[in-house]
Amino acid sequence: MGLKRRLLLGLLASIWVALPVQAQTDAQPSAGPFFLTLHFAGGTGLVALGGGYRVAHQRLEPEVLVGYLPAKLAGRAAAVITLKTTYIPFSPRLGQSRWEVSPVAAGGWLSYTTGQQYFLTNNSAGRYRSGYYWWSSAVRVGAFVGPRLTHLGHPSTPRPSRQTLYAELGTNDLYLVSALTNRSLKLPDILTLGGGLKGSW
Amino acid sequence: MLSRFRSQPLLTYVSVAATALGLSSCEMLEFSPNDHRSPDDKQALTQKNLTTLLAKPLPANDTLRFVYTGDSQRFYDDAEALVKSVNQQKGVQFMLVAGDISDFGLAREMWWVDDQLRKLTIPYLTVIGNHDQVGNGRKAYGEVFGPLNYSFVYGDTKFIMTDTNGREYNFNGRIPDMPWVRQQLQDNTVRRHVIISHVPPQDEDFDPAVRDAYVTALRADPRLVFEMNGHRHDFSIGQPFNDGVTYVNSYAFEKRQYLIVTMWGDKEFRLKKVPF
Repeated sequence: MGLKRRLLLGLLASIWVALPVQAQTDAQPSAGPFFLTLHFAGGTGLVALGGGYRVAHQRLEPEVLVGYLPAKLAGRAAAVITLKTTYIPFSPRLGQSRWEVSPVAAGGWLSYTTGQQYFLTNNSAGRYRSGYYWWSSAVRVGAFVGPRLTHLGHPSTPRPSRQTLYAELGTNDLYLVSALTNRSLKLPDILTLGGGLKGSW
Repeated sequence: MLSRFRSQPLLTYVSVAATALGLSSCEMLEFSPNDHRSPDDKQALTQKNLTTLLAKPLPANDTLRFVYTGDSQRFYDDAEALVKSVNQQKGVQFMLVAGDISDFGLAREMWWVDDQLRKLTIPYLTVIGNHDQVGNGRKAYGEVFGPLNYSFVYGDTKFIMTDTNGREYNFNGRIPDMPWVRQQLQDNTVRRHVIISHVPPQDEDFDPAVRDAYVTALRADPRLVFEMNGHRHDFSIGQPFNDGVTYVNSYAFEKRQYLIVTMWGDKEFRLKKVPF
């Protein structure tokens, strides 16, 4: 439990501590631009496509993703619709280069998986008495941390492009509940890996 | 600087970090928690455990002894303690888990239970529970363990393992699969029969349209020693239908007790409760 707790607390701390220190950097617009995302794995489908809009002085990236889960992986083909936000506490430029590295970005997501076999609530399934199953099999929430590498377009253009490559180590609510109620489950047991590309032009 | 970063993509960095944590990034790379696919070493566990069991056949007329438990769902710490206790038992040939291996019907949960139970010095066998069927769980169970209905003969006894989780099929009138159950019970080449499933027939989660057929078929089987279930998380033994057929319910892992079942003769048996 020790390592798990420390990592979770560390994740929370990095979010809350970093918020007030948001560097109101000079040339950074307070919001925008729109970006597109191609996301891979991480519990939200084989691949997911989506996009969002950068807010909070380039620190937050809320987005919507639509993932595809093929029948080969989960019985019947399904769509996974995900609302997700990534918080980027700092993103230092590498010297005079056009590259930025964020060692830790962190965030959370909520996903809905389509398909009859997944119930939204115990009661909506229509076959269980109240309280039979306490969770939703269609809705998952999760959290993640991971590094990012961003390439910035030439600054002379009016709207410089940017492309980000990112990876995410995360978990979901059901895995977390399992780990928090059993000291024999270790952090690696509950981790999931995902990653993707974001771009704005 | 630039070229160094280009040659070290972040995914490599993460996979190095993951390897340092002792992880297989393949198992972490998750498309959905409902993905039923399983790595090679956690696939077809029923078949693998049966092969191990049958490699040490029990001579005819020898006393049969097995551990009976159920409902391991999200009780991983209890599973660890159970394994330590069972490994100290002498003369026990295998262990049966009466369903609800997982809590949420996810493959990873089944792997976690197997992570503990594969430390047993004896093979273990399972039957599917209602929790194992949530979401895509039925496929996950099929992948990790194997068939939902199966039977095996050990010593003088045929063990008939069947899916009785009728509520998960919206009480479609086909669970348990009575033609299959009857066919199994008609096998008169073996001295004894034991039938094992998760939901007991006297439970509200058993399809009421199939209850009579099931109970009647069991009553008509002269070789049946008893019927065994899980689901209720606590031990019980009795004849709920007052028809001479004995029904035994297992402790759940969380109850920190299990049964040692000893069988001999035609239908002689003894149950011993073991706290751990």
